[in-house]
Amino acid sequence: MGTLSSFLVPILNVKLLLLVLLGTFGGIWVGAIPGLSVTMAASLLISFTFSWDIYDAIALICGVYMGGVYGGGITSILLNIPGAPAAIATGFDGYPLTMKGEAPKALGLACTVSFFGGLLGIIVLLFAAPIISRIALQVAPRDYFLLAMMGILLLTSMGSGDTIKGIIAGAVGVLLSMVGMDPSTGEMRYTFGSVYLMQGISFVPAMIGLFGVTEGLSQARDVTVAAIKQNVDKIIPSLKLLLKYLPLSLRSALIGIWIGALPGTGGDIAALIAYDAAKRTVKKPSAPFGKGAYEGVIAPESANIAAVGGAFIPMLTLGIPGDAVTAIIIGAFIIHGLRPGPLFMVETPNMFGVIVSCLLIANIAKLIIAMCSIKFFTKVIDVPRAILIPVVIILSVIGTYAIQNSLVDVYWMLGFGVLGYFMRLYGFATAPMVLGLILGPILDSNYRRAMQSVNNDPMIFLHDLVTNPISLILVVFIVYMIISQTPQWKRFTSKARTKTSASNR
Amino acid sequence: MKRVVFLVFSIVCCFFMMTNMSFAEYPERNLNGYIMWGSGGALDNVSRAVTPAAETRLGKKVILQNKPGATGAVALTYVYNLPADGYSLLYGSENPLLYKVLGITDKDYEDFYPIMLFINSAGVVCVSADSPYKDFTDLVKTAKTSPKPLNAGSTGPAGLPFVASSLIRAVNGVKFNDVSFDGEGPCITALLGGHIDVVCVGVPAAAPFIRSGRVRALAVISDKRISQFPDVPSLVEISQEYKKFFPWGPFHGVFVKKGSPDYVIAKLTNAFEFACDDEKFDKFVQDFGGVKLALTGSKAVDYIRHNQSVSAWLLHDMGYTKKSPADFGIPRP
Repeated sequence: MGTLSSFLVPILNVKLLLLVLLGTFGGIWVGAIPGLSVTMAASLLISFTFSWDIYDAIALICGVYMGGVYGGGITSILLNIPGAPAAIATGFDGYPLTMKGEAPKALGLACTVSFFGGLLGIIVLLFAAPIISRIALQVAPRDYFLLAMMGILLLTSMGSGDTIKGIIAGAVGVLLSMVGMDPSTGEMRYTFGSVYLMQGISFVPAMIGLFGVTEGLSQARDVTVAAIKQNVDKIIPSLKLLLKYLPLSLRSALIGIWIGALPGTGGDIAALIAYDAAKRTVKKPSAPFGKGAYEGVIAPESANIAAVGGAFIPMLTLGIPGDAVTAIIIGAFIIHGLRPGPLFMVETPNMFGVIVSCLLIANIAKLIIAMCSIKFFTKVIDVPRAILIPVVIILSVIGTYAIQNSLVDVYWMLGFGVLGYFMRLYGFATAPMVLGLILGPILDSNYRRAMQSVNNDPMIFLHDLVTNPISLILVVFIVYMIISQTPQWKRFTSKARTKTSASNR
Repeated sequence: MKRVVFLVFSIVCCFFMMTNMSFAEYPERNLNGYIMWGSGGALDNVSRAVTPAAETRLGKKVILQNKPGATGAVALTYVYNLPADGYSLLYGSENPLLYKVLGITDKDYEDFYPIMLFINSAGVVCVSADSPYKDFTDLVKTAKTSPKPLNAGSTGPAGLPFVASSLIRAVNGVKFNDVSFDGEGPCITALLGGHIDVVCVGVPAAAPFIRSGRVRALAVISDKRISQFPDVPSLVEISQEYKKFFPWGPFHGVFVKKGSPDYVIAKLTNAFEFACDDEKFDKFVQDFGGVKLALTGSKAVDYIRHNQSVSAWLLHDMGYTKKSPADFGIPRP
């Protein structure tokens, strides 16, 4: 009885309700502004709400979390500057849509599928948390390695531009991610004796630089080019369109829930893998992927928000964070005297109901607030470039400094920004480099862990890959991903297709 | 005459102003506190729990920031490069003691002055609840006789899990396979998932899992039992050969750069002593799963030096160090 009524607490308590709404509203803005991210906002809020009641703090943070994940997609679509790592994949097709004048439609779709994806994530959290967390524990380091491999393979199929150049950019990204202290042995790699390089090259300043500053610099070349006129008629997607894309959205959301539930991986990886899965499974996208396919926006936006619900699963059932924001929330619990851990649900059963309720309210609020503000956000494109670009660059600097109060981060960010400008000039996309920076450490440390676990015996490693169910499934996916790119496979499938259509005549 | 009076008056005023600035006014502005590990970790929790009370005595705020990286070397080097004027505090754990022998950096706590060591926590040897090891001797026996070495979790060479498992290696002669993770939390996750067999983590990280029965604590890495888990034997109980290493274990404290003025040290020590006396801090220590140290001055220095002797020579004897502790004048324990 206690737990059931706890679901109603945020709904009936006006203060909590307002805090969730405020948080969602604020979260959308924080997520949208390049340089500021949900993680940063969450850690600021923790100190800010230090003396508050824990429910108040949770309401605010849940709102910011849900709003922020969608918010990152706004600028990703409008300006090709992701507001958060989880929104990188959204821009692949989102920005081309803006270039075609369909930004409002893209934003409307993103908003709607974000609602459905978030809803699914919350439902799964509510009903299946214990089972999923038990399975999530079984995911071994080698499986994380395989997931990262899947992410890396995405680089080879990211059709926005030359494939080879994409691979080169990605490879450089992975190489750069190796700089710093070796996670296992403590050896210094490529640090040249500098303490600053010892902490490695963090991907957040690099991302802000390679997207925000680079975009700003690139657009500065043609400051006088007029903004593309946006068609603001069709914001709310028609029911027909929704029903058509619902299966894809739910599939992507499922991917998002699982990846969010894995400790240590969150919305950014979820969005990438969902994008890749969509690319391979959708036979007739509305436009080629990378050139403004609606599916290319739906998949990542469904996945990254579902990952929020997923990330709460290990956090509430085991006290293990599912991603960076839930790690911060655990810190908040400790500061407020609670004890996250396997007994958390037993010792504080009401917290679960309150969190789920807050997430639900935030999800609905996000749908409404975002829909109403799409027209407003779209106007950002009409802001003269001469004003927009300096603002973006200043926000990037502030946002980068706010991460760790480190000027070195800002220098890195600016350096990457300049690098990205020249990359664009020569036809290299910057997203693969950011992906490399994100996936490199996951690839590296998990491969090392997996090998250490089998005493560096490659035969046992390979043996484990095929004897464990989770690993086997992932290996099959990867093999399929590689083979399906080869000309032989394409010939084989098109022959099969003509044969079936011939026999159907 | 007037001129002389004026001159004397201004000299006396200047004298007062100078002494005012030196003695009565520290701290004149807010201080910066740099925490060498990330948010949510043990050090972070301790630092944020003890500082508010100290702030009331100081009259100014201490702005706490996390500056993680390179097992704390980033924060240590950063604070070292700031002026020793008492406005930059370093909140640190025991990891810097191994920097020199591991070649991470050439600075450690010898370049700092310990204002206070707040708390030390014990490590526990943990296995998953569904593992077959009933007690510590069981684990050691299996480790010795098993054809494949057991997998032990680690957080890197300067972290507690690795040094603790080296301790067990040194005394019991067993060999483990070290699998490194990003922190004690991920180690426990891996333990629960069956990806590693054993890990030595601090009580704060392990406590919720031991309490809920998911993890079994086989031994406390200390010379006596701890109040949170009174049924778990200490390593010294199990084998007297461990006795010479203790007291030892991870600790957390606050430091200032060496060469900071005496009035800075006095004021800060006073403020943090007040904070540690607070009963709220006692409650925190209880929940945290540690033992209150509240060591200052030369006692703190001795504690740190002994801790360093044990850890540095332990790792050196096992062959994990780049340089010998003898190169830095670190005596054997």
